[in-house]
Amino acid sequence: MSLPSSMLRKIVLNFVTWSLVAVIAFPLFWMIVTSLKPQSELFRIPPTWLPETITFEHYWRLLTETPFLRYFRNSVVLATTTTVFVVLLGTLGAYSLVRFKFRGRETLAMLVLFTYLLPSVVLIIPLYLMMVEIGLSNTLLSLILAHTTFALPYALWLLRSFMEGIPEDLESAALVDGATRMGAFRDVILPQLLPGIISTALFTFILSWNEYLYALVLVNSDSVAPLTTGVMSMLISAFNIEWSLLMAASVMMSLPLIVVFAFLQSYLTRGFGAGGVKG
Amino acid sequence: MADVTLKNVRKSFGTFTALENLDIEIRSGEFVALLGPSGCGKSTTLRMLAGLEFPSAGEISIDGRVVNDVAPGKRDIAMVFQSYALYPHMTVGQNIAYPLRKRGVPKDERAAAVQKAAELLQLEPLLDRKPAQLSGGQQQRVALGRALVREPKVFLLDEPLSNLDAKLRSYMRAELIELHRRLGKTMVYVTHDQLEAMTMADRIAVMHGGRLQQFDTPDAVYNRPANRFVASFIGTPSMNQIEGTLAGDTFTRGAMTVPLDRARFAAEDGPCVMGVRPEAVTIGTGHVAATIRLVENTGHELIVSLALEDGTRLLSRVEAGRRLSIGQTVQITFEPDAIHLFAPEDDGARLNTDEDASVIPMRSH
Repeated sequence: MSLPSSMLRKIVLNFVTWSLVAVIAFPLFWMIVTSLKPQSELFRIPPTWLPETITFEHYWRLLTETPFLRYFRNSVVLATTTTVFVVLLGTLGAYSLVRFKFRGRETLAMLVLFTYLLPSVVLIIPLYLMMVEIGLSNTLLSLILAHTTFALPYALWLLRSFMEGIPEDLESAALVDGATRMGAFRDVILPQLLPGIISTALFTFILSWNEYLYALVLVNSDSVAPLTTGVMSMLISAFNIEWSLLMAASVMMSLPLIVVFAFLQSYLTRGFGAGGVKG
Repeated sequence: MADVTLKNVRKSFGTFTALENLDIEIRSGEFVALLGPSGCGKSTTLRMLAGLEFPSAGEISIDGRVVNDVAPGKRDIAMVFQSYALYPHMTVGQNIAYPLRKRGVPKDERAAAVQKAAELLQLEPLLDRKPAQLSGGQQQRVALGRALVREPKVFLLDEPLSNLDAKLRSYMRAELIELHRRLGKTMVYVTHDQLEAMTMADRIAVMHGGRLQQFDTPDAVYNRPANRFVASFIGTPSMNQIEGTLAGDTFTRGAMTVPLDRARFAAEDGPCVMGVRPEAVTIGTGHVAATIRLVENTGHELIVSLALEDGTRLLSRVEAGRRLSIGQTVQITFEPDAIHLFAPEDDGARLNTDEDASVIPMRSH
């Protein structure tokens, strides 16, 4: 007896898809499992797939005995402020790039992307020296500025493609109806742009939240370190890696993103779409 | 109610001149159509009246006030866009109320005004819907409602009917005429559709290549076109234009000679263009021989395509029911009173001296 080919196709397709999902999800699964295992179970061979006893002691230690919460707060401030900066500048920039016709408009838009083409390693040392010179080294603000510089070009292009989708007539109508330019922007453009703003904000937040290299170079005092570098230097030393604490920290680091993702996922995929069409 | 005046207006975009020497005086309460092919500058003219574009030179005034530097919202005008430009995130009611909100009209007055506009346009059951849930015709009416809710001095309409299907278009045409009659406001209407302009407007400004070609009543524009462009643009099918030579009392092209009453023309002997509308080309008698090439039956009339002996093509319009067959040779006549002469250039001026040519009194509504 042979299966019909369409059925076979379906089975193969499903198998491949789920294998991929398993490969991608396994580290996440292992991270959660490891964070819940007691120390004694961690390195047992063969490994236990599900913890025999579940413990939250690593989480408790992390929250009470380490500066984890401070890093967390730093990261929240860093990612949020960066996002606000980027969305604010990106929206106004995209608006002017789309609505106002001026000489060199396209060149300007391309130039903005130029920084995006350079590897961050090339920019990071000059940036560090500049921060030292203006007296911002070792501050959260220096990181906010750095993150803004590398998130803004992409945000600008993303918002620009969203902005191009808003008919100019809408704004003209608002102007004729008695709105000022700012009023028309607020009443008509912003509501239309909202999906674009949300997806841009998400991209920026994730980028800033997960960023490691700039944080490592620009900030070396523990008090202003964000989660990425803070947790690394705290738990990973040349002699020892605190696996259980590291995994607990990783889970808590991922949590905000997962929550945000769950709520705003549809906006995010729309953002991918807009970026894809305009390229 | 307000006059609208454009005085010697020019508009350039970089090195491209979109409009030149534009002089239009629109009387208070008048319905004026700006008519022309795409790219003729009619939409730019309207956008300048709205304040969305600024003239490079010249003066625009509304109701006696020069508005060159006045923001769109302060001109006391309303505009209906070709795309309707309804605010997608607002309901129909909010859309209509928006111009009032921007002018700080109190909420209860706003509601009353919206109600009134909705009644006028039969939009009451739709007030809570979003624009995306409406049909094209309904969206069109919402756009009109938003324009008339605050009773502006001047209405500007930018091809408002071009996105509707033919049936709805003729219905909305009648509605707009009715609306203009009821409100008595000055309306400026941009269109490329001569039928809309002819049927709706008190006067038509025919534009071409950034210049005003003629600004007159529909009848005058049809019967006394100022130049070859207006003659060919107005009327379907358009006017026959035959290049030839004028000498004494005859117009000659090849073997064809047409006797003319020279007193009717201010033309000098030499090359010129004779214009005759298809309905003034009669088939049956006459001294010009032509061959029938094509007969199109529209039901109530026949559009006959003719070829003269030298191959020149002509159109004639005759009543339906005539028995005409392709290939048949017929004699044709040009009605002498309906002959126009034009200077031979592409935009050659009309050379008739008359003010007659079957003038029909100006319509008013």
